[in-house]
Amino acid sequence: MIPLKYNVRNLRVRWVNTLLTMLGTGAIVWSSCILFGLVEGLQHSMKVSGDPLDVIVMRKGSTSETNSGIELTTAEKIPTLPGIARDEKGRPLAALELLNIPVVERVDGSRTNLIIRGIDPVSTELRPDFKILEGQGRMLEPGKGECVVSKNLAKRFKGASLGSELKVGEREKYRVVGIFSAGGSAAESEIWVDRKELEQNTAREGITSSVQVRANSAEDLAALKQTIENDTQFKLAAISESAYFADQSRSSAFLIVAGTIIAVLLTIGAMFAAANTMYAAIRSRTREIGTMRALGFSRFDLLISFLGESVILCTLGGLLGLAATIPLSALTYGTSNFNTFSEVTINFRFGPIVMAVAFVMTLAMGVFGGLFPAIRAVRMDVITALREV
Amino acid sequence: MGKEHSIELRNVTKTYKRDEFTIPVLTDLDLVVPEGEFLALMGPSGSGKTTLLNLIAGLDNATQGSVIVHGQDLGGMSDGEITRWRSENVGFIFQLYNLIPVLTAFENVELPLLLTNLSKRKRRDNVMTALRAVGLEGREDHYPRQLSGGQEQRVAIARAIVTDPFLLVADEPTGDLDRKSAEEILSLLQQLNKGFNKTIVMVTHDPEAAQRASRLLHLDKGKLVHDEVRNNLEEGVASS
Ligand SMILES: Nc1ncnc2c1ncn2[C@@H]1O[C@H](COP(=O)(O)OP(=O)(O)O)[C@@H](O)[C@H]1O
Ligand SMILES: [Mg+2]
Repeated sequence: MIPLKYNVRNLRVRWVNTLLTMLGTGAIVWSSCILFGLVEGLQHSMKVSGDPLDVIVMRKGSTSETNSGIELTTAEKIPTLPGIARDEKGRPLAALELLNIPVVERVDGSRTNLIIRGIDPVSTELRPDFKILEGQGRMLEPGKGECVVSKNLAKRFKGASLGSELKVGEREKYRVVGIFSAGGSAAESEIWVDRKELEQNTAREGITSSVQVRANSAEDLAALKQTIENDTQFKLAAISESAYFADQSRSSAFLIVAGTIIAVLLTIGAMFAAANTMYAAIRSRTREIGTMRALGFSRFDLLISFLGESVILCTLGGLLGLAATIPLSALTYGTSNFNTFSEVTINFRFGPIVMAVAFVMTLAMGVFGGLFPAIRAVRMDVITALREV
Repeated sequence: MGKEHSIELRNVTKTYKRDEFTIPVLTDLDLVVPEGEFLALMGPSGSGKTTLLNLIAGLDNATQGSVIVHGQDLGGMSDGEITRWRSENVGFIFQLYNLIPVLTAFENVELPLLLTNLSKRKRRDNVMTALRAVGLEGREDHYPRQLSGGQEQRVAIARAIVTDPFLLVADEPTGDLDRKSAEEILSLLQQLNKGFNKTIVMVTHDPEAAQRASRLLHLDKGKLVHDEVRNNLEEGVASS
């Protein structure tokens, strides 16, 4: 086998070409990673929690929590149903939650709709990723006009920073006592207040939007869903976390398809860049190729060697592109959720999809970009190659 | 005919096709090179010297006739077989040295050994032995551009002998060197021929270089026109 250092050193000797090709392939990997990073962030932002035993109870026919309404008297029966998990204090893990979508002013003076979620004390336990940030205040206490704000919103909305008064809609005001994160899930686009306060402030006594429930086990979950859905009095739907998520993600599925098409086209472009560099490399090394064939290296040895060189070249570009996405992890994007018409914040996510996209693109560029140049090297006539000066 | 002859060409004809024309390069050539011979090939430019050398070294196929080395017909081998045969039996020395510029002297000499299954340690021993044989110990970490032409050619010779082939082919090995370096290279080749019984076929334009060989062959328009065997090499006296 022709040693790999032969290829690595040639790439180094021709560093200007190598660098230019790296920048080209890197830029393409970079832009595709941004695209898929945002898609991944979008998918994540729709997740409510990660637990497969969680269900969301809404009014039958509702497509999202924001357009669901349940009579309080009905909703209050749900925590008493059998099969519901309990916390250390023995409280059932079933939280009644009320959603409101008032207009809130951004730091720059513009206005948008935000989700204000009225919560029960166990709500935080139903979101394992929820936490008040270190040194950023505490959890709200019910009945005191307090709220907690996600870290994304705290930066971007007027009066949303710790200790400030947040004005919500026309009349409501809450004091910000804590800043939270929720693992990039949907809650990071929300402001949380006490449910009973929200009920009074919005004059919606006797109504709640949804009930978040965690079952004890998979069997209990099935039984619970059946009890809730079969009760003709209730007129409720118990949607499992994953089903709700899948439903909400339909719009991101479209983005994934569009993104894949764009990434494939970009990759083909990068293949030509890599191929061009490899053709030039092979042309300038004709006599070396003839010499190696004379010494006894086979056509296959040469094919592998030049394919390897191309893959190394594209991998360097890919790593550069990936590295350039790191500063974007801090990027937060505001966009409208088409289901609820409230603002959703998306964090760029440097997750498995991005890694997979970068890996597949890099390998495709390297192998297919290097293939035709390598075949040219392999098919070269030894005698002719040796006569090259 | 047989074992005592290492290389045998029988009625060898070589033509090249270019567009409609067939260009005859070698016509009906017969030649026997016994094992241990140091043969110099001379002749005007374009007379077919390189082509003849390539046939002997298994780089090219004869159009007609056969090239038989140690009783094996090279024309009957597949591409893979002849490639392997070359790596085991032939050492190549080129006019422009043909070292790999990005590899050090050591790595250049090691290259043919990567086709064997010798251990790293054994490879290292063989490379150092070959470099010592050409007088380049201490230069193993130099890159070709850090060496003089004469030194580069000596690295190339080390690379040619490191697998211990029986045959060395050299196409104008001193063509790009000054007088003094050329003398050194020729002495080295003579030493390899006499001390290690290497069969050497060398193309040269230089009559003085040809004097070092044990046999001198003239080629003209694809035919052998003059064949002269010397028996008193030490004094460089020619007799035919
Ligand atoms: N691949 C080839 N295609 C066509 N003609 C060739 C080829 N190789 C060599 N020739 C021709 O064969 C003749 C002999 O070439 P060569 O063996 O290189 O001569 P020398 O080494 O004696 O100068 C020349 O006329 C050359 O043009
Ligand atoms: Mg020639």
